[in-house]
Amino acid sequence: LFNTLAAVRVKLNTMLLYSRSSRAMNISTSGILRLNRSATYARSINASVSRKSFCLAADSKILEKSSVQTPKHTIQVLDENGKDVTPRPVYQPDPAAVQSKHSKIFASDTSGGTMSDFYSTTYQTTTNASFAGAFTRSLFGSGSVSIGSQSIMESMSEEIEDPSSKRDNSISLSDVQVKREEVKELIQEEMLDDMVDLYLVESDTLCLLDMPAISVSVDSMEAESVKERNSRYTELCKNRTGNDKYMGRSMQTFNGASKTKEVQSEAITMADAATIANNWDMYDSFCSAGQGEVDLSTDTDKASIAEMIHQNHGPTRTMERTMSVISSSTIVSSSSSRMEMEPFVVPSESKPDPELILQSEEFQQHLFVMERIILENIYQPKLAAYRQLPTLEGMVLLEESSLDEEGPPTPALERLWSFSCELTTGRNVSSMAWNKRNPDLLAVGYGQFAFKDQKPGLVCCWSLKNPSWPERIFTCQSGVTALDFSASSASMLAVGMHDGTIATYNVQSREKTPVIDSSDCVHKHTSPVWQVRWINHERALSGEDKGEALISVSADGRISKWFLRKDLMKLKRTRNDRFKRQVGEKERKSEALISRQAPGLCFDFHPTDSNIYLAGTEEGHIHKCSCSYNEQFLETYQAHKGPLYRITWSPFCSDVFLSCSSDWTIQLWRQDLFTPVLGFMSTQRAVYDVMWSPKWATVFGAVNEGRMEIWDLGASILDPTIVNPASPGVKLTSLLFATETDCVLVGDSDGQVSVYQLKNFTAGEGTQVGTLEDIIGSTLASQL
Amino acid sequence: MCAEVEETLKRIQTHKGVIGTIVVNAEGIPIRTTLDNSTTVQYAGLLHQLTMKARSTVRDIDPQNDLTFLRIRSKKHEIMVAPDKEYMLIVIQNPSE
Repeated sequence: LFNTLAAVRVKLNTMLLYSRSSRAMNISTSGILRLNRSATYARSINASVSRKSFCLAADSKILEKSSVQTPKHTIQVLDENGKDVTPRPVYQPDPAAVQSKHSKIFASDTSGGTMSDFYSTTYQTTTNASFAGAFTRSLFGSGSVSIGSQSIMESMSEEIEDPSSKRDNSISLSDVQVKREEVKELIQEEMLDDMVDLYLVESDTLCLLDMPAISVSVDSMEAESVKERNSRYTELCKNRTGNDKYMGRSMQTFNGASKTKEVQSEAITMADAATIANNWDMYDSFCSAGQGEVDLSTDTDKASIAEMIHQNHGPTRTMERTMSVISSSTIVSSSSSRMEMEPFVVPSESKPDPELILQSEEFQQHLFVMERIILENIYQPKLAAYRQLPTLEGMVLLEESSLDEEGPPTPALERLWSFSCELTTGRNVSSMAWNKRNPDLLAVGYGQFAFKDQKPGLVCCWSLKNPSWPERIFTCQSGVTALDFSASSASMLAVGMHDGTIATYNVQSREKTPVIDSSDCVHKHTSPVWQVRWINHERALSGEDKGEALISVSADGRISKWFLRKDLMKLKRTRNDRFKRQVGEKERKSEALISRQAPGLCFDFHPTDSNIYLAGTEEGHIHKCSCSYNEQFLETYQAHKGPLYRITWSPFCSDVFLSCSSDWTIQLWRQDLFTPVLGFMSTQRAVYDVMWSPKWATVFGAVNEGRMEIWDLGASILDPTIVNPASPGVKLTSLLFATETDCVLVGDSDGQVSVYQLKNFTAGEGTQVGTLEDIIGSTLASQL
Repeated sequence: MCAEVEETLKRIQTHKGVIGTIVVNAEGIPIRTTLDNSTTVQYAGLLHQLTMKARSTVRDIDPQNDLTFLRIRSKKHEIMVAPDKEYMLIVIQNPSE
C-alpha cells in the first residue's frame, strides 16, 4: 500500500502536470465524474465499491487534489440483472467532426480514465500494483491506454461499451456547442410534418457542490486505513524536525494594496409634517367625503373637489388649514382618482381678485351688518332709551344729576336722535308712516306742500338700526304728499304725490321703481293727493270690495277707492264725493253759484265701522260719509274757518275725533254733536298735524309751525303739557307717535325726523278712556 | 353694485368714532385700508390668528356652527371683525367718543 501510495504520489504529480493544461475542462467534469461514478456504483452490483471510493478519495489530501482533476468518465447504469440500462445521451456528437481534437482530449481523458481505472483496481482486492504500474507507463500512449481502460471497464461491467461512444461521451463541452448548432440547422430544414421520435433520456448529473467528509466513522471499513494513515502522518511530522529531507520555507502572500473610497450620498432632507385633527375638521372631512362618494358623476365630483380645494387652498398656511388640506386631499384621492384631482389644483391657486371680493354678495352683507353694529355702538344709549331699556354705565352720571332736582319731575321731551342724511336735507317732511308688521321701519315722504318750489319727491324707508342712512330710497317724479303702509301685504307702500299720481312700492325689493303707478289711469287724480290710506273692508257688499283697498283723497274733490290689478291701478269705484261748496256765509255772493268741488284734504275711517268715514275739506267742513252712499254726506260738521289739515278718530273712544286746521285751533268733536266739545289753541299758528296717542286716551300731540305740543287733557285742557319749540328757521310739519314706546317723531321742513322720548310722562293708570269721557261729559255739562 | 359698496365703505368710515377700516384678502394682503401699511399688516395678521382660533372654538363645540362676527372691546376702542373664507373686514371704532 505504501508503494501504491508512493506511486500514487508520483502519478499524481504527473497528473497535476497534465491537469494544468486542461484544468478548465476537467474541473467541471471531474466533479461530475465522481458523482457519476458514485451513482453508477450505487446501482451496480458492487455496492461496497462506492463507499470505498469515497473513503479513498477522502483519505489523502493528494487524492483530494486529484479528485478535482478527474475528468469525466463513461457512465454505466446497470440494473439488478446486470443489464445495461444506461440512458442514452440526449446529444449524440458527430464523431467525424471532432477527430482532430481527439488526441488532446483523449489523453487527458484517458489519464482521468486511468485514474479512475486505477481507483477501480485498487478497490478490488485482486488488483495489484503492477497492474497500476503498467497503466502509468502507458499514460502517454494513447492506443494502449485506451485499450487498457477498456479492459478495465470490461472487467467492471458485463457490457462493453463502444469505444467510440465512450470517446464521444468523454468529449469536452467545448465540442458540444459545435454539435448543437449543426443539429439545430438540420431541424430547421426538415419538414415540420415529419414524425419525430423523441426519446427522453436522463441527462448528466451536474455536481454543484461537493463537500467531502473529513472524518470517518470508527465502524466503517476504511477506519483501519484511516487510522493507519493518521498514525503515519504523525510519525512523519515527528520525523520532520531534524530531517534533511525536509526544508522549511517561508512564504509570503501579497497583501493587496488597500484603497479608500469615499462615498457620499445626497443629504436626506427631513420634512416635518404635523396635523391637528379638530372636531370640526373631522366633521368637515366627513361631510365632504360623503359628498364625494355619493356623487360619482365626474361633474359634481370635480365641482366638489374644486370647491374643497378652493376653500382649503385659498387661505393662509396656518396649521389648521394645511391640515384640512391634507385631510381633504386624502379623502378626495380615495374617492376619486388622482387624475381628477390634479387638473383642479391649478385654478384654485389663482387668488380671488380683490375686486371680485369687493363686489361679492357676502361682502355687501358683511358691510351692512358692520355698519349697523358701528351705529349701534354710537347710538346704543339712545336706542336703549327708545326701547325703554336701562342704559349703560356711561349714562349713570346723567341719571344721578337728574335725581338732584327737587319736586316731582316734570314731563319733558328728550331728543334721542334724528333720521336724516345728506339726501334729505332741505326737503320738507310731508308724511310719515310706520310699517304695520315691523314697527322698526319708518317710511318718510318728502315733498313740498306749496305749489311753488316743487322738486322731485323722495320716499325713504328708515330702519331704527340705522339712523344715518335709509334702507330704501325711492325717488318720485313729484313731491310726495301722502304715505301709507299696507296692513295685509306689509311690504307695500302707497305713495300719493303732488301731481295726483298714486304709486305703490315694494319695499322688500331693491327696485327703485314703483310696482304700480296710477298715471295711466283714466280717472286718476288731477290734483295733489293729500292722503292715502289702506282700509280693510271687512263687511263688504260685494266680493270685490272685500280685502284691503286703497283710499285716497285729493284736492280735486274726490275720494277715490283704488283697486290694484296686475299691471295697472284701476279705479274700481270712484266715490265721487263731490264736496259741494256750501252756500256759505255772507262772504259768498249768492248770484252765480259756481258749483265746484271743494278740495279734500284729509279723511279718516272709523276705527270700528269701516263704512263710515270723515272727510275734511279746504273750506273747513267736516263731512261724515258712508261708503254705501256715493252722492251724499251723512253729516257735516262745521266749525273750522280754514282748511282742515287733519282729522283723526280717537282710538279709544269711538265717538270722539279731533280735527286741526290752519285757523290755529284743534277741535275735539263727538260724533253726535255738531259743535265741537273742546277747542284747543295755544299759539297763533296753523296746526299742521295732530295725532292721538296710541297709549293714553287723553293724550294727543300736535304740531304747528313753530313748535310741537303734547296735550294731556287729564292734566289740563287749556295748555299743552309739553311744549317743544322747533329750531329757528325750521318748520315742523308732521307728527307721529311710536306705537310701542313713549316716543314721538317729528318731521320738519329741513328733512329731519327727530325722535323724542316722553320722559316722566304719566297720564295715570290705564288708558284713561273714562277720564276722557268724564272730561267731555263735564265740559258738556258746563256748557249747558 | 360696486358703487353701493364704495358708498357704504365711505359711510362707515365717516361714522362717529371710527378709527379705521381694513379689508384684507385670505392671504393677509390688504385690499382696502384707511390706516397706514404697518398698522394694517399688524392688525390683519393678529386678527387673522384670533379669528382662526375663535372659529375653531365655535366649531369644536358644534361642528355645524360657524363664526359670523367677532367683536373685541377694549379700554380704548372696539375692534369688529367680519370673517369670511375669502376676506376679512375689520373696523376699529372708539365708541365712547
